[in-house]
Amino acid sequence: MLELLNSLFIAPFDYGFMQRALVAGLALSLAAPALGVFLMLRGMSLIGDAMAHAILPGVALGFLMAGFSLPAMSLGGILSGLLVAGLAGSVSHMSGHREDSAMASFFLISLAAGVMLVSLGGSSVDLTHVLFGSILAVDSTALILIAAISTMIVVVLAIVFRALVVECLDPLFLRGQGMAGGLVHGIFLGLVVLNLTAGFQTLGTLMAVGLMMLPATTARFWSKRLEGLIGLGILLAMFATSGGLLLSYHLELPSGPSIILLAGACYVFSALLGRYNSLLAKLRRRDAPLEPRAAE
Amino acid sequence: MARLALHDLSLAQGGRTVLEHVEGQFPDGAITALIGPNGAGKSTLIQGIMGLLKPSQGRIECAVPRERRAWLPQQLALDLSFPMSVEELVMTGTWPSHGALKGYCGPHYRKAREVMARLGISHLAHRPLGELSGGQRQRALFGRTLMQEAELLLLDEPFANVDIETVEVLTGVLRDMADQGTTIIVVLHDLDQLTRLADEVLLLDNGHARWTTPQAVIDQPTRGTRRVSPFMPTQDADTPHA
Repeated sequence: MLELLNSLFIAPFDYGFMQRALVAGLALSLAAPALGVFLMLRGMSLIGDAMAHAILPGVALGFLMAGFSLPAMSLGGILSGLLVAGLAGSVSHMSGHREDSAMASFFLISLAAGVMLVSLGGSSVDLTHVLFGSILAVDSTALILIAAISTMIVVVLAIVFRALVVECLDPLFLRGQGMAGGLVHGIFLGLVVLNLTAGFQTLGTLMAVGLMMLPATTARFWSKRLEGLIGLGILLAMFATSGGLLLSYHLELPSGPSIILLAGACYVFSALLGRYNSLLAKLRRRDAPLEPRAAE
Repeated sequence: MARLALHDLSLAQGGRTVLEHVEGQFPDGAITALIGPNGAGKSTLIQGIMGLLKPSQGRIECAVPRERRAWLPQQLALDLSFPMSVEELVMTGTWPSHGALKGYCGPHYRKAREVMARLGISHLAHRPLGELSGGQRQRALFGRTLMQEAELLLLDEPFANVDIETVEVLTGVLRDMADQGTTIIVVLHDLDQLTRLADEVLLLDNGHARWTTPQAVIDQPTRGTRRVSPFMPTQDADTPHA
């Protein structure tokens, strides 16, 4: 029995590449879900996806200029992500249109530009790598970069946490206090870009969003409290990362999709059987009796 | 010298001048009602005082530090689906003065409990915001301004969509705050509330402002005020917003 457990869960991590993949995945799992929770609560769940496309041309440009160098590609990704976020913000500010329409326009431009750049400079294999990543190819440099970015996200998030909560809840209160709501929003989007850049090496630009959004949307079926959503999101992300890696090892599946599909399975399971607002909760709901009136 | 004074103030919204040459002081520790027809510039003036709108001419002199200015807008931008309890909302009132980083400690929680008891919402402390009725929500927001220890409080129609009992409680709270020296400015439409609440009146009409007293307004009702029949039910005041 122990033998079986060992061969199923422990032995795969004897390999260096599996160890690095696990550490990289867990580091991402600590940082990403909290960002996902805030994106979800602000009704910006799809913005993560748009941002993921936005980092593509930068990554491609980094790849063209420096070859397959992670620091160069990450730097390019961060810069183009921030550029697109900034441009979308200023266009929406200038025109008065909603930010998501400006974001949608710029992410489409970026996506096309990114694919164009990759095709001009490399083969289709490179494109696949950038789009879908390969967590099993994480080397020590990449690992340090991912861990550093994740740490930075957690620290900055802790610093702006209260302002971010108030900005989500009641932006006018924040403005009334003379705090630029735009600044908090900008820092937050910057963190999203950083996180996606850290994620692209392991999961690819497109699927890095998955580790951010799926744990958050899943947690919503189990908790009604902010701390609960974030804590549960982190646990779910860690479960999906380690479980997905094991699945991909044993069944010889690609690692990125395994991780995200496992997270997706958790989401579907929760939507059916979760504690709040799931299908099961709707079916079992009884109207609660009136509370006894509190003596005042 | 009052803490809040307007000097030859003009304000514009989107290129259109809304108010012109407004002069005067809002007395400390008194409740000033802001009345006038729709579009007269009541909300614009409030935005100007909160520093969200730059005067196109003249200036606003305000000796109250930012963290002691509180504002309850009429169209609440409050996101009711946000997972936050009444107590947590009340506690956010501490952070403008306490800073965004330091943790809350015992005295803050004690004070939040006192504030909630004063407003009659102690039993709702752990209720999510989305499950409150209009009146309960307004009490919770008042709790936030009480935590903030506001010295200047701006309210835009605080009693719209609020049940009668809540109006009573909130009126008492406002009177206490004024007695303790808070400068309160409140946009009102209802003449009954005007007589019960206001010490001074700033009447806005057609871009101009005129200082008057509640009695003078009652004697000579102007555009933009209405007397609500005591028999008219307040609409939907207690239906929770899902």
